[in-house]
Amino acid sequence: MAIDIRKETGPGGTVEQRIVYESGNEMAAYAAHQINYHVMGYFPISPSTEVAQFLDLMKANGEHDIVLIPADGEHGSAGVCYGASVAGGRVFNATSANGYLYMLEQMPVQSGTRFPMVMNLVCRSVSGPLDIHGDHSDLYFALNTGWPIVLCRDPQAVYDMNIIALRLAEDPEVRLPVLVASDGYFTSHQKRRVMTFTNREDVLKFVGEHPPEGFVHVLDRENPITVGPYMNEPDYINNCYQQSMAMYRAEAVYDRIRKEYAELTGRDYPILDQYRMEDAEVAVFLLNSSAEIIKDVVDQLRSKGIKAGSISPNIIRPFPGQAIAEALRNVKALTVGDRADSFGGHGGNMVLEIKAALQTYRNHTTMVVSRVYGLGGKDFYAEDGLKMFEYALDAVDKGFVEKPFDYHGHTPGDPTKAPKRVLEPMKYEDLNTGLITVTPDEETGKLNVRVPPLRALTKKPKRIAPGHGACPGCGIFSGLELFFKGIEGDIVALFHTGCAMVVTTGYPYSAHKATYIHNLFQNGAATLSGVVEMFHERKRRGEFDHLGLKDDFIFVMITGDGGMDIGMGPAIGAALRNHRMIILEYDNEGYMNTGAQLSYSTPMGHRTSTSNVGKAQGGKVFHHKDTAQIMAATNIPYVFTGSEASPVDLVRKAAKAQWYAQKVGMVYGKILITCPLNWLSDDKDGATIIDQAVDSCFFPLYEVENGVTNITYNPEDKGKRVPVSDWLQMMGKTRHLSKPEHAETLREFEGEIERRWSRLKAKHENPYL
Amino acid sequence: MVQLPKVNELGFFEIRLESIGGLGANLAGKMIAEAGVMGAGLNGVSFSSYGSEKKGSAVKAHIRFCDIDARIRDTSPVERPHVIGIFHENLSKTTNVISGMYEDSIVLVNSKKSTDQLKEQLKLKGGIIAVVDATGISMEENNRVNMAMLGGLFRLCGFLDPEFMKGVIHKSLAKKYPGAVQPALNTFQRGYDEVTFHTFELEEGDRMPDYVRMDTPVLGYETQPIGGTITNPGNSILKDLSISRAGRMPHFDDDKCIHCAACDNVCPDFCFVWEELPDKKGRPQMFLQGIDYQYCKGCLKCVQACPTDALASELEEDGYAEGHRVAHRFNLAL
Repeated sequence: MAIDIRKETGPGGTVEQRIVYESGNEMAAYAAHQINYHVMGYFPISPSTEVAQFLDLMKANGEHDIVLIPADGEHGSAGVCYGASVAGGRVFNATSANGYLYMLEQMPVQSGTRFPMVMNLVCRSVSGPLDIHGDHSDLYFALNTGWPIVLCRDPQAVYDMNIIALRLAEDPEVRLPVLVASDGYFTSHQKRRVMTFTNREDVLKFVGEHPPEGFVHVLDRENPITVGPYMNEPDYINNCYQQSMAMYRAEAVYDRIRKEYAELTGRDYPILDQYRMEDAEVAVFLLNSSAEIIKDVVDQLRSKGIKAGSISPNIIRPFPGQAIAEALRNVKALTVGDRADSFGGHGGNMVLEIKAALQTYRNHTTMVVSRVYGLGGKDFYAEDGLKMFEYALDAVDKGFVEKPFDYHGHTPGDPTKAPKRVLEPMKYEDLNTGLITVTPDEETGKLNVRVPPLRALTKKPKRIAPGHGACPGCGIFSGLELFFKGIEGDIVALFHTGCAMVVTTGYPYSAHKATYIHNLFQNGAATLSGVVEMFHERKRRGEFDHLGLKDDFIFVMITGDGGMDIGMGPAIGAALRNHRMIILEYDNEGYMNTGAQLSYSTPMGHRTSTSNVGKAQGGKVFHHKDTAQIMAATNIPYVFTGSEASPVDLVRKAAKAQWYAQKVGMVYGKILITCPLNWLSDDKDGATIIDQAVDSCFFPLYEVENGVTNITYNPEDKGKRVPVSDWLQMMGKTRHLSKPEHAETLREFEGEIERRWSRLKAKHENPYL
Repeated sequence: MVQLPKVNELGFFEIRLESIGGLGANLAGKMIAEAGVMGAGLNGVSFSSYGSEKKGSAVKAHIRFCDIDARIRDTSPVERPHVIGIFHENLSKTTNVISGMYEDSIVLVNSKKSTDQLKEQLKLKGGIIAVVDATGISMEENNRVNMAMLGGLFRLCGFLDPEFMKGVIHKSLAKKYPGAVQPALNTFQRGYDEVTFHTFELEEGDRMPDYVRMDTPVLGYETQPIGGTITNPGNSILKDLSISRAGRMPHFDDDKCIHCAACDNVCPDFCFVWEELPDKKGRPQMFLQGIDYQYCKGCLKCVQACPTDALASELEEDGYAEGHRVAHRFNLAL
């Protein structure tokens, strides 16, 4: 992060401050680095990923000591954070949307066992169909987790609240984990002027140099403790009562801390942010970024003589119900905009809580209009804000609320533009060419494959249509289609979340000519297991007889290397159950869809956005995952590696994969493919780089057929082996490895390649290895 | 403190950059905003649009400036820009890049064309067209398109200080890429110097077209199938990806082709069109017919893979792709 700093003292406050021009994510990272947390466990998900990236970049430059742990998924990241917090230090995390839901079960445990930490929730839609933009559906899931929740309406608030949150979490009266919520993209990715503490010492003076003493942790040998006992019904309710009391105390504690912070910095975040509410007759209640936009609308209406006001909380757990009810005492009508629906609840969570508060505190006169708006990041323009007021003004006019609950911003669509089929389904005869034959060899127990010259296979239709939005030179689609050339017949494909999924299905377009499924990032292998078993059962019951089914489908799951990290458990589960399906992994050595974070398949020393290169760090610090060997250890019938640079080899393996997946059980294959954008390589060099990866023995081409290893291309035998450095110098992400200061990393990487290659050769020689 | 030349009703001077991913518009937007905020003492905000597409697809960057004391509350995209920067002229084929402009807005286009030609191409009713050959300059100076565009944009935004920008360029490149400093500065300066302008008055009685909000969908709750299912898959063939090409493209020479399919094996965008024809002995055989340039993003992997000289990397000339396109013969249902 190139934080450009201009010295300037703030408009008020007593502490020395300076201005930066940065985004919400940068400010969350900046605050965390000033606090110098002990540990951050994280996993990439848009739009929060940048927080870990910025921290890694600062770490590479030696600017903080936070131990950054790239977890195997959000469930894992929350586990890392929980473990770190019971061990007594300061803990930080950031996530969004589905990532938050994946870690959801850890949240009440963190609060229920009373271990403070701070997590940024960069709010984004929780959804299927996948929408990665900002709404509050993830935030609303947080309401019942027992974490105090503070809100940030702009990047300045992200910075300030991150500092306030730690004080709140660690306060002896609270002792709860705290969630810092800001709006994905609107706040996380928009740059603004932000005032910051000039000196880290002043931040530490405010939050405390160390976590407060006197609280248990698991690393005190003189005081052994039991964390997380089995607790039955006589006691559990009392644990909850303690937690409930602490949560309500958090309101007063927050109020105290924010006043102290305001004196120090001149910036105040009262429990309720009220704008021109003194004499307001109509008001709008919104959360976060849109609660700022609405203030411009308030000004416009005021200039026309309409007594408008805006009300928005800076903290929603505990919910400031009394303060809200009192602030609305003289308001005739209020529109509450919820940026997430509580389907079937006659309003989103905020409107329901506000209505309850009005009832509790005997405000029976304010009329309330509920509108769900801005879902999935749909922009909130001033004209939308005006509409929000019009709903309230209409109620004032009529004396009642005509439509208590509705959506705002939804559109019916033009019937003449309704979707129509563009392409006819591919013909079975075209896909089943008979050009490829697979026959079992009774003597060896292996398969014999005959493939025609690749020219002949151009006759087969491509399964994926052109027009997808991948980067120029992307290796994914050439790799996938080459594999598909070896498959005869119909494919049902499931794609894990990742580049291949995102760029082929940007609604209302789809580049998949055949049937395609996307579920969650980690759950593809389980999902496809369900599809496969349903197929065989429905077929057995004769339910396909009228659907023109000519032959069994070939079920293929496509995943990136990231999907095989977070989805490793389900993949192994599917392999152990041995479903008749193929998992094909395209390995581009990182989480490229979210901005090139490291995956476990990223090789040692390679630069990614979470394994930066600087004076204190030289790229990724641990070795690449050997996924093919992990999958081989599940004893499935067929495992292979392949590359687009060895086309005939890959087509042959695809044909074998089909045979095993239709007749025996699960197949796993891994193809190495280029990501020119994030490997920092020339678009046109993709196939050449992969060739070098193979010829350097980093990525050997082999198969494990019924447990027996066979190297299908040995560069040593062909006299083609090249030094690892020949491969690395073709990519910008590894260019630093040729410098003397990284010689040790390179040597270690080369040693690991040699060790794995030698072991593979031994397996090739011996069928029992 | 500097004075903004004009502002909207909320006090903002607004800029929108229209580009394709990879040309550096996002970075250019950030740099303009920083020059305004950190260099010229303005208040400002900047952000980019994020979609499912990657490098090579249409992207927008948005910048707002206002007085230092003004509060910035608006996070919505820039719909009524005072300045528009178009980093790739062919964007106008698929996007209304001048949407929402005022009759005195300035549109800076990266192009070799005349302002009259561009007025036609952009369907511009009134406003100021500024032209700079940013691609040409960047190729000559061995630097990036966004530096030349930045130079041009600084010329249009007189309240920004080009010297501050040069300092930023120097500072951000000097340490890591010292060799790139001078080319970047030259490219910036030439972009600044070589802009030409032409004002087109809005005709009497005519008015500028209304803008359509960027978040307006094609389908709606009455027309889209439930659950988000796409019931007309493969419809991505309707897209035109030719704007993804950043200057170069493959040319196909039929005479030199041995029909080995090496190109087809590496093409990420399925651009090669084949047909089954009788070979010399009358047997059916696959023959490469050509390239469907509608989908070609110009990565040139095919040129690298071609074992003969049948595919060659060439600079893209206007009209070549349309003239030499061999269209896929899809089995259309429409």
